[in-house]
Amino acid sequence: MRAYELMKETYCRRGYIWIVHIVWLVLYGSFWWLFLPSGEEFGRFIFIWGGFFLPLALSAGIFGDDIASGRICVLVTKPFWLGELYIYRLLGLSLQGAVNFILAGCIVFVLHFLMRKGSTEDLGLWLLASWLLFNTCAALSTSLSIVVGRAYNSLLLFAVVVTGYFVVSLLMVSMRQQGGTGVLAGFIKYCWPPFELLYKFASGEYGKYSLTVGRFSVTKSVACIVHSLILMVVYSIVGIALLSRRQFSRQRD
Amino acid sequence: MIRNDKKQTMVVECEQLTKVFRKLLAGRSKDVCALQSISLSVAKGQIVGLIGPNGAGKSTLLNLMAGLIFPTEGRVSVCGHPARSIEARSGLGYMPEHPAFLGRYSAWDTLRYHGALLGLSGQDITAQINKLTEQLQMDEYIDRPCADFSQGMKQRLALAIALMSNPRFLLLDEPSNGLDPIGIIQLRDLLKKLRDAGTAIVISSHRLGELEKLTKDYIFLYRGEVVSFGDKISAGQIGRLRVELVSNGNQIAKKLLPPSKLLSSSETELVIAVGDDNEVPDIVSSLVKGGARITGVLLQKEDTEDIEDVFLRLYNERN
Repeated sequence: MRAYELMKETYCRRGYIWIVHIVWLVLYGSFWWLFLPSGEEFGRFIFIWGGFFLPLALSAGIFGDDIASGRICVLVTKPFWLGELYIYRLLGLSLQGAVNFILAGCIVFVLHFLMRKGSTEDLGLWLLASWLLFNTCAALSTSLSIVVGRAYNSLLLFAVVVTGYFVVSLLMVSMRQQGGTGVLAGFIKYCWPPFELLYKFASGEYGKYSLTVGRFSVTKSVACIVHSLILMVVYSIVGIALLSRRQFSRQRD
Repeated sequence: MIRNDKKQTMVVECEQLTKVFRKLLAGRSKDVCALQSISLSVAKGQIVGLIGPNGAGKSTLLNLMAGLIFPTEGRVSVCGHPARSIEARSGLGYMPEHPAFLGRYSAWDTLRYHGALLGLSGQDITAQINKLTEQLQMDEYIDRPCADFSQGMKQRLALAIALMSNPRFLLLDEPSNGLDPIGIIQLRDLLKKLRDAGTAIVISSHRLGELEKLTKDYIFLYRGEVVSFGDKISAGQIGRLRVELVSNGNQIAKKLLPPSKLLSSSETELVIAVGDDNEVPDIVSSLVKGGARITGVLLQKEDTEDIEDVFLRLYNERN
């Protein structure tokens, strides 16, 4: 019951969430319809639009709204481990992401079948990579939401990710010889949401997926998937620790 | 005034509570000491009114008891467990001053959601919702979205949420805010029933007249400290009733009078605290029914102060 209600709440907590889903699905369909992309082009689009921007939109204020309204004060007085509050909400987001990507795949396959144009090659792998990216971004955004009030968690995550990559790119260009840049790049690659690793995984740099030929590099791909799951767990642990230790009122009356 | 009779079951105990709010990256000079070395306890079946001017630390004390914030020094235990532990929270019902709900959820959905958080089964949740809906007269709007609720409806729903778990300890922050007169009377009756059933209740309120109808136990907070009522009789008590008896005074007192009412007893005289003129006939008749042979009754009225007078006196003494 508790798990169901908390997961359902992630969908019902704001009126615009179903609008976000519809807008995202319409954009997937429109992109495919208008540009008739190859599987890889469409995969890249869905990877960024669905894997990065969708969790930002869905997780905006996921704890921040409760903290700003004071609703959290009642939630944390209920007798259960507060980690459950975090975990089930994250699972709710993850489920929404999974449904969104499955529907995206269905839309594209239907359009492909009707128009008999474009390509859906490797789309499954891109959808999987997008969902994994979605989960890590959602976990990071949810944890940030415990620290910052209202919906600023999404904006903050967006700003931090974009700034991080911009700074690293700039450093890589201007100070190629210096070791410090490599450390920072490594940090961004392995501790940040795993854009680069999952992009390589989905675009076939670890070998193209084929059940019959078997050219798929299982080790690297599994390592990539496990890495993204570990990041999600680490972000979640930080979030749960913050939730357990955070004070929820500063009223002085 | 808080009972300190350790024989009673204490539901909440605060020991040397101090709370200092510190601003991030600000110096110690910016610290705000909201509470200072407060010790108190609340017994099973006791209603305690938390009163004081704005900024006195009432909400801070409630938040500490609810486990929403942590003390800088000292400790709070609820039902024998540290505040915010799962065990403490399992006996707690909390109603905030400004309740907020998911606007798209109806009152029913909201109560079901909170029932699920409490770990109740579907059947128990439905039974509990039906009971609370009837008790708090929420039938008319139980299916309406919370976004359309008036302040009074929100207060009733917040109270229903606090009562979902049949709490042993109830914390209410301004519970009668926005309630109509009927709602206030219903709330008062409900709280009295809960008290009689053994629930310990702490109410923070500025509506002193309402509090006075519920309790004679108060905590007056002023700038983060508990202010003693002094040696005057407790607020809300009008005086002493001296009952002269032929004999067996001690035995009758033990049998018929609650310890909180009995001020002193001997074989031939009982001194009883009374809060209301109307109480006198009831007390006398219950003593007679209990076998007391009364030879005389004398009501000695003290300089009576209602809680508003006490509040003003204490406030003026400190300003």
